Amino acid sequence: MSDQHITKPRLSRRTLFASLLILVVIPITMCIGIFVLQDRKYYFISLLILLYTMIPFAMVFEKRKPQARELIVIAVLAAIAVAGRGAFFMLPQFKPVVAIVIIAGVCFGAESGFLVGAMAGFVSNFFFGQGPWTPWQMFCFGIIGFIAGILFQKGWLKKSKLSLCIYGGVSTLLIYGGIINIGSLMMFTPHITWEGLLAVYASGFWFDMVHAIATVIFLLLLSRPMIEKLERIKAKYGLIDP
Amino acid sequence: MEIYRIKNLSFTFPLAEREALSNIDLTIQGGQFITICGKSGCGKSTLLRQLKSILTPHGQSQGEVLFHGQSLRDVDQRTQAAEIGFVLQDPDNQIVTDKVWHELAFGLESLGYDQQTIRLRVAEMASFFGIQNWFHKPVTELSGGQKQLLNLASIMAMNPSVLILDEPTSQLDPIAAVDFLETISKINRELGTTIIMTEHRLEEVLTVSDRLIVLDQGKVIADDSPAKAGEILHTIQHPMFASMPSPMQIHAGVGSGLDCPMTVKEGRQWLNVYLEDKAAAQTKVTTQSLTTPSSSVAIQFKDVWFKHERGGPDIIKDLSFEVSEGAFYCIVGGNGTGKTTTLSLISGILQPYRGKIMIHGQKHTKWNSKHITAHQLGVLPQNPASLFVKKTVELDLYEMLSDHPLSKEEKQQKVDSVVKLTELEHLLAMHPYDLSGGEQQRAALAKVLLLEPKILLLDEPTKGLDGFFKQKLGLFLRKLHHQGVTIVMVSHDVEFCAKYGGECAMFFDGSVIASHPAEQFFAGNSFYTTAANRMARHIWRDAVTIEGVIERCQTSTSLSRV
Amino acid sequence: MRDSFSTYHPLINFVYFVAVITCNMVFMHPIFQVIALLSAGSYSILLKGGKAVRFQLLFMLPLLLLMATVNPLFNHAGVTILFYLDNGNPITLESILYGIAAACMYVTVILWFSCYNAVMTSDKFIYIFGKILPALSLIFSMVLRFVPRYAAQIKVISHAQKSIGRDVSQGNIVRRARNGMRILSIMMSWALENAIETADSMKSRGYGLPGRTSFSTYRFDRRDTIVFLIMLGLMAVIGAAAFMGQNSIRFFPSIRIQPMSMVSIMVYIAYGFLCVLPVVIRLVEDIKWKFIASKI
Repeated sequence: MSDQHITKPRLSRRTLFASLLILVVIPITMCIGIFVLQDRKYYFISLLILLYTMIPFAMVFEKRKPQARELIVIAVLAAIAVAGRGAFFMLPQFKPVVAIVIIAGVCFGAESGFLVGAMAGFVSNFFFGQGPWTPWQMFCFGIIGFIAGILFQKGWLKKSKLSLCIYGGVSTLLIYGGIINIGSLMMFTPHITWEGLLAVYASGFWFDMVHAIATVIFLLLLSRPMIEKLERIKAKYGLIDP
Repeated sequence: MEIYRIKNLSFTFPLAEREALSNIDLTIQGGQFITICGKSGCGKSTLLRQLKSILTPHGQSQGEVLFHGQSLRDVDQRTQAAEIGFVLQDPDNQIVTDKVWHELAFGLESLGYDQQTIRLRVAEMASFFGIQNWFHKPVTELSGGQKQLLNLASIMAMNPSVLILDEPTSQLDPIAAVDFLETISKINRELGTTIIMTEHRLEEVLTVSDRLIVLDQGKVIADDSPAKAGEILHTIQHPMFASMPSPMQIHAGVGSGLDCPMTVKEGRQWLNVYLEDKAAAQTKVTTQSLTTPSSSVAIQFKDVWFKHERGGPDIIKDLSFEVSEGAFYCIVGGNGTGKTTTLSLISGILQPYRGKIMIHGQKHTKWNSKHITAHQLGVLPQNPASLFVKKTVELDLYEMLSDHPLSKEEKQQKVDSVVKLTELEHLLAMHPYDLSGGEQQRAALAKVLLLEPKILLLDEPTKGLDGFFKQKLGLFLRKLHHQGVTIVMVSHDVEFCAKYGGECAMFFDGSVIASHPAEQFFAGNSFYTTAANRMARHIWRDAVTIEGVIERCQTSTSLSRV
Repeated sequence: MRDSFSTYHPLINFVYFVAVITCNMVFMHPIFQVIALLSAGSYSILLKGGKAVRFQLLFMLPLLLLMATVNPLFNHAGVTILFYLDNGNPITLESILYGIAAACMYVTVILWFSCYNAVMTSDKFIYIFGKILPALSLIFSMVLRFVPRYAAQIKVISHAQKSIGRDVSQGNIVRRARNGMRILSIMMSWALENAIETADSMKSRGYGLPGRTSFSTYRFDRRDTIVFLIMLGLMAVIGAAAFMGQNSIRFFPSIRIQPMSMVSIMVYIAYGFLCVLPVVIRLVEDIKWKFIASKI
């Protein structure tokens, strides 16, 4: 805890290590998988990505011996995201998961953001059925929370509604939509062609748009009360600092 | 053997002006069963939390707590985790994992025991507490009583020498609560574990306690055997005396020179001895109609049937009853008999599949948000916290009026009058979740009252309240009742219904079995009735409340003098 | 009826599914595909009944057709050109076959996952990862505990809100959305405030002390060892064959399959046996049980 306080303005080594893995090693693996293995290894790659994203976070998190309160915060936020996903089951794509993950990243840091997202993706599939899409969802939710945490720490993302909504909309549309669509494209075509990519984006566009709009709406209405609540809990019970 | 030695302990919360605990000096012997009581906010929980370092809140403390003769600060965490068991109030919140077996093993895992040891301990605990039948279940499938039993078992698995319980039964229904207290007593009797607990339900717990400690404003005001501590409270005219068991209160109220009775059984014997040389006062013939039933009917159920799913079992079966306008109607009965469902039917959230429900002579139509206002219904849910939205009580009250086309002044006037009625003035700036149970209840009630209901529906309003707040709530409801509000209350709390209710109805198996004015109702029951009545019913069948029994005792004329 | 493969040690269950799903994703060879599809289908029917599986397949049908047609539309690799589209792009035999193979593989993966969902309960998952990832698997267990609780609380809150005239199902969309958010917001406060007590309960029971162990009700017995060894053996055979290129198929530019040989037939048998292992276990135990029951 203490060394974190000292290095607080800068990114901690852990965060750097993790971001290196996520932002560099994973895309490289993906590229190698796609361009070297050829044809038909994409499912396999998606599994590798799951491992890559989980391993650094899991290792760092476990090594740190997290306290009960940290576990609770992550578990509660992930559970809220999952329960929220369930509560809005009648509206397809209209889900609060991304909004909650972003708020988690902003309030409790990049690592917590990632864990909340990945955990929410994983557990919600425990309720709605696991499938080959699980690792993709875990990765997308996780990385959105992670980037939110980093941007906030860097001061580029503010706790204001506008700033959160913009990030929420853009990240849902580009990061979530972008990656999930590539994932589903790779499931049934051997080569990523521009045409195919365009087609899959076009067919998924409205889903992604609804998802992005949902995220913006949730952030618009929920971000302020939720951040207030999290801050209150942090102050009242001395919960984790990012 | 001395387990705890608390030396001149004082404690102040950060930013608080008053000490939460001041100069507590106690010695706790091994194997004792100690009950600590006091009004909400008297420092009971704070005191208990001083007995385990990891749960001690931040703040200024003076004095010292010795555990087995060693300062608690020097006792390492591992020993404390194993030796000092701590059961908290809410059964749900304490459960961490999703399966019963995992929860039982949680503490042992933390202590780092190996597979074989955990297996044995878990098996032992499951057998001792009768958990083996639901050992593999997910915790969501358990009842409240089972959950609390699981919490207890998972702590007992670590084999603690002292068990601390912070109002463990406040969220349980009476039957589950008695079962739970019975188990605690068994642990004390058969395993010799020291018990330190805070509790509202003194009626049941005092009969098995060795010692009663009463706290008031952070100070110990009585510390003795339950009977003696009760006497002390009586002599200093302390409001906590109202929470003592009925036989004890009757004894004190009558003021005989006999030994103080604790249980109903002792109370009966006491009464027999007391009346030995006296002629028991005649039973008053209650011919007067207790409530003046106004001609108009507020709520009418006619052959109502309800079930949740098409193929599901009937929750409400052939239910017919009437509540006249201005009545104070109590529905009592066991768990899962459909009481809460009936409230939802009245409020229109649920619809019957057969039968008719009339509110103020109008038939229920399909529910819409105007319904509540049209029928002037107010509903206080079982969990008052489920109404709070804002960060202060005041904002929360104004939030209630946000949909009303009222001017600022009108809103303020409305809120002010409700605040005054519910005595919330000094709590307005607080966060709703920082209030105590009784205060939360009042704040929620204030929210509901802003709707200006003609009919007020209450679901278990006394759950988790101590005697003091119960009394406050009772008087408050009486006040509303006198203003002409029709009150329908669902409750397990027989004593409360007998004291404040107008008409009582017994609910069983989805229907009202019997409904009478409160006194007549409880006089007619032999088991489901107040402790005072059970104690005195062999002489005065109609004496239902403590005051009633005292009055009759005092009017009994002495034979020797005649 | 309880599935006998599910009663084996969680590690066996997990390794089995990892193995069959990985093989299924990597080997596009038609014989491998057929073996996997048939065994995944039959195990799925055994576990969940024919009706559920039929429903699932029916549900997937449009997606499959889409997948099978989309690939040739956008993938023009392959040498056997069947005809040209209006925009001048060729439709090739290879890409059609690839689309069918991919669709078939997708169905199989879904079927395997449906078996996985039935067999690998959360307990087993937590057991497997409890040792290597204790904190995360505890979080997982906590989330599983919280979700049903929160879902129930959402119901309680929306009931309470309804009874003071606030309802998600009433009013215009803005009002509804506002009321929905209000419920979520109340739930959040409630969850956070209550979580503090959960944290207390964990600490009170010694969470955070060094040397935490993880308890389970599972035991790796002789039966598990035997099945595990069989599985490892089969996987070794399949792995070796894959290394030799026995299991692969090339779609583009032209289709090339490894010709059938004695070795490849051996590999097919090994793969087939691995895939039907749970079904075989189930049948053997059924027969055994009938035999015992008839003796009683």
